[in-house]
Amino acid sequence: MKTKGFLIAGVLVTLVLAGFVSLFASASPDGMESVLLTGCETEDGEITGGACALQAAGEHEIGGAFADYGVAFLDNEVLGASLAGILGSLFTLAAATGLFWLLARGRRAPADEGA
Amino acid sequence: MSDLALHIPTDVVNGPVSLAFALLAAVLVGVCVVAARRHLDDRLVPLAGLATAFVFAAQMLNFPVAAGVSGHLLGGALAAALLGPWLGALCVTVVVVIQALLFADGAVTALGLNVFNMALVSTFVGYGVLVIALKVLPRTRWGLGAAAFAAAVVSVVAASAGFVLQFWLGGEAVGQSFGAMAAAILGTHVLIGVGEGVITAGAVTAVALARPDLVHALRGTPLARPAALKETA
Repeated sequence: MKTKGFLIAGVLVTLVLAGFVSLFASASPDGMESVLLTGCETEDGEITGGACALQAAGEHEIGGAFADYGVAFLDNEVLGASLAGILGSLFTLAAATGLFWLLARGRRAPADEGA
Repeated sequence: MSDLALHIPTDVVNGPVSLAFALLAAVLVGVCVVAARRHLDDRLVPLAGLATAFVFAAQMLNFPVAAGVSGHLLGGALAAALLGPWLGALCVTVVVVIQALLFADGAVTALGLNVFNMALVSTFVGYGVLVIALKVLPRTRWGLGAAAFAAAVVSVVAASAGFVLQFWLGGEAVGQSFGAMAAAILGTHVLIGVGEGVITAGAVTAVALARPDLVHALRGTPLARPAALKETA
């Protein structure tokens, strides 16, 4: 497989995972959170009583339009989650490629490191 | 949809410990930048970008591991297998930073803690296991898959042990003893590790079958070099 084809296939797989498969992901608390919730009663993801380590947790410092993988200005939750996944993946792709490109370029700039 | 899924949130581990791990993580990421730069050629750049985006997407996919408990891929072992430990650690670091800054997943103040566990511990432990396993196992797709599986399982448990250490240093056990909490965290992450192992083994063998020259673990180890012929770097 050519590199270009491989990259295109990889991006497509990534977008399908982030924009579609993610809609079917488990909404249960993850391994760390569920243990930190031990001792508390919860309902719909909110702590309703008891005592547990996670009660110490505050609100996220930033929050933001894409908090919790949704899109704040979209009423449709499914569409929001899908869009957040797709936009997040594209942004990650762009940011990572850009950063690694800078890193690879920087390697050649100083003459003492080129070999 | 993972409203609940989160990395270490605000204030679960205290400020001094969070700060200490932020400094430690910053130094180690700096070391990774210097080391990754040495082997980074232009051809690898888009692949590293793709691997990073894939890890971001895969981290959204929480899979059930027990009643009412889920887990998601961390991606350290996968990134290490495809790109080597230095560049791999940078990939997962980029993911964790983007999650904290844009998606409110993992506190900004806990960024050092989360980067340390998920990007650094998981990637380097995963790579270590992978290198050892590839020396023992045959260099077939099954051997590579088994090595990737083992690396992923151990990497996830190691990352969770990182959190247990951080919580021991700067957290407060409520509702259960610290020992019970530590055992529960590690035990749950063995199960999550199995899921991580299946995904990692599948992804690494898929890449190895399509483009063996793009699997760092096949090039970097000193044993047989089935993929080295196509390599020009």
